[in-house]
Amino acid sequence: MTFWNQGKALGRWALRAFSSATRSSRSATPKTVFISQSDDIFANLALEDWLYRHHDFSQHRILLLWRNGPAVVVGRHQNPWKETHVGALHDKQVVLARRNSGGGAVYHDQGNLNLSFLTSREGYNRRTNLTVVANALRREFGLEATVNDRDDLVLNGNYKISGTAAKLGRPNAYHHCTLLADVDLDNMKGILNSDDCGIETKATDSVRSPVCNLSSMHPGLNVASLMGAVGREFLRSDDRGVDLGKSAISRQLGFTLVNPTDDWFPGLEKSRAELASWGWRFGRTPDFTVRREFAVPREMCVTEGAKLQVQMRVVKGRVASMSVTVPPGFVSNAPEGEVAVLSGLEGQKFSEEAVGLVEAAFAKKDKSDKKKRFVAECVRRVVQ
Amino acid sequence: MVVCSVVVRRLLAAAPAAPRHVFTGLRWVTSTPVKFTDRKYTDKHEWVQVEGKIGTIGITHYAQDALGDVVYAQLPDPGQEFSQMDECGALESVKAASELYCPVSGKIVSKNTEVEDTPGLINKSCYEKGQLLLTAHS
Repeated sequence: MTFWNQGKALGRWALRAFSSATRSSRSATPKTVFISQSDDIFANLALEDWLYRHHDFSQHRILLLWRNGPAVVVGRHQNPWKETHVGALHDKQVVLARRNSGGGAVYHDQGNLNLSFLTSREGYNRRTNLTVVANALRREFGLEATVNDRDDLVLNGNYKISGTAAKLGRPNAYHHCTLLADVDLDNMKGILNSDDCGIETKATDSVRSPVCNLSSMHPGLNVASLMGAVGREFLRSDDRGVDLGKSAISRQLGFTLVNPTDDWFPGLEKSRAELASWGWRFGRTPDFTVRREFAVPREMCVTEGAKLQVQMRVVKGRVASMSVTVPPGFVSNAPEGEVAVLSGLEGQKFSEEAVGLVEAAFAKKDKSDKKKRFVAECVRRVVQ
Repeated sequence: MVVCSVVVRRLLAAAPAAPRHVFTGLRWVTSTPVKFTDRKYTDKHEWVQVEGKIGTIGITHYAQDALGDVVYAQLPDPGQEFSQMDECGALESVKAASELYCPVSGKIVSKNTEVEDTPGLINKSCYEKGQLLLTAHS
């Protein structure tokens, strides 16, 4: 058998082995730690989803450990434009992903470890999982972490080192969380936005907290050492998070490297493509209205302090309606304060693509190049 | 049939008002066509009340209590079709997204937009104002 085939066979064995493993006398369901070999956020989310949909967790639990290249991951019912400057992500080489679980927006890079605790619906318990993580940090790094009432892990009572979210279905469920090992925090703060962008929506909000890296408290701590620590603690704990001792580890099903591809997990590629699609990442945004005002340069209007207002209604990530309210004298052949409804934009994606159409539409109303560019710039700032 | 009776006992213990008719997701208990029936319950804690071909769907008191405060309701759009026990939406509470399963096969006739505006209605009144969907079942 080639090395590659050995790996695949091991993965499949790990998924089947639970059926022959027996429960220990102290209620510890057979457990495996999976480590993903991919750093593609969409492949890893697809892997988590595959296990949730296809695996029988009635007699088995899996801790999936994974990390990604730079990404902003928003919750299932969030508005990405409220959480980050979507237009700026491409230049920063950060991708935007939407996960299937609830909760707020997080930033991932290679210094962040993701943990997914996959169980049956009956086995779902967030606090137990977080207690296991806290125990691992104490045992191997001497760090004291506590679980607060929002189910966040905090260090020294102050700094959040982990965010939690969950998906509950039947028969399965999962709780996943992040761990800030050695993340570029400056990059993260610049990317996770809390500016007032004029968006009115019922989408779920993020709750901001001060954060810190675990490596700042324990130099030398990195994602690899964290994976080992948390994985071992998971394997030596029972279903209530109680430590069964080091010898319990060898009675479990150990660590397995997995590759999120169709070869290993049939049908995963289709799921990955769906998670990476515009329709999922942006089209699933709850409907919203955005309203922003911009100060008009003095030379373009007749009065001081004039404002131009852009308002858009966005449904499923596309412009459903848009209006631009201009100050008196802004549009040469229009009466005061005309509300210019720019048609032809309906159905356009809420993005830079809409800006070009706005420019063209406005040019029909006023010959001034400067004004046309000003209006387009206002719209550009709205869609970012 | 032993499995059936276990499921029935669990549901009866969980539901506040003992249902007279229970189905396990496999078949209706009453097989004759009826104009109006009491609520029927699934083992995923949804309920459906049928009047003619239209079914009203919601989640049970047990389910809303287990969820905690609902902060977002993602309901399917009218016109979408589902088979029995397909995932058709989600309710979010305290960072957890809980799947909604469609208890009957059919097409969505309408969704309760009041619940989308005020998700807390599901907690306060899960059988009345906090109802979720109307379906035309096939």
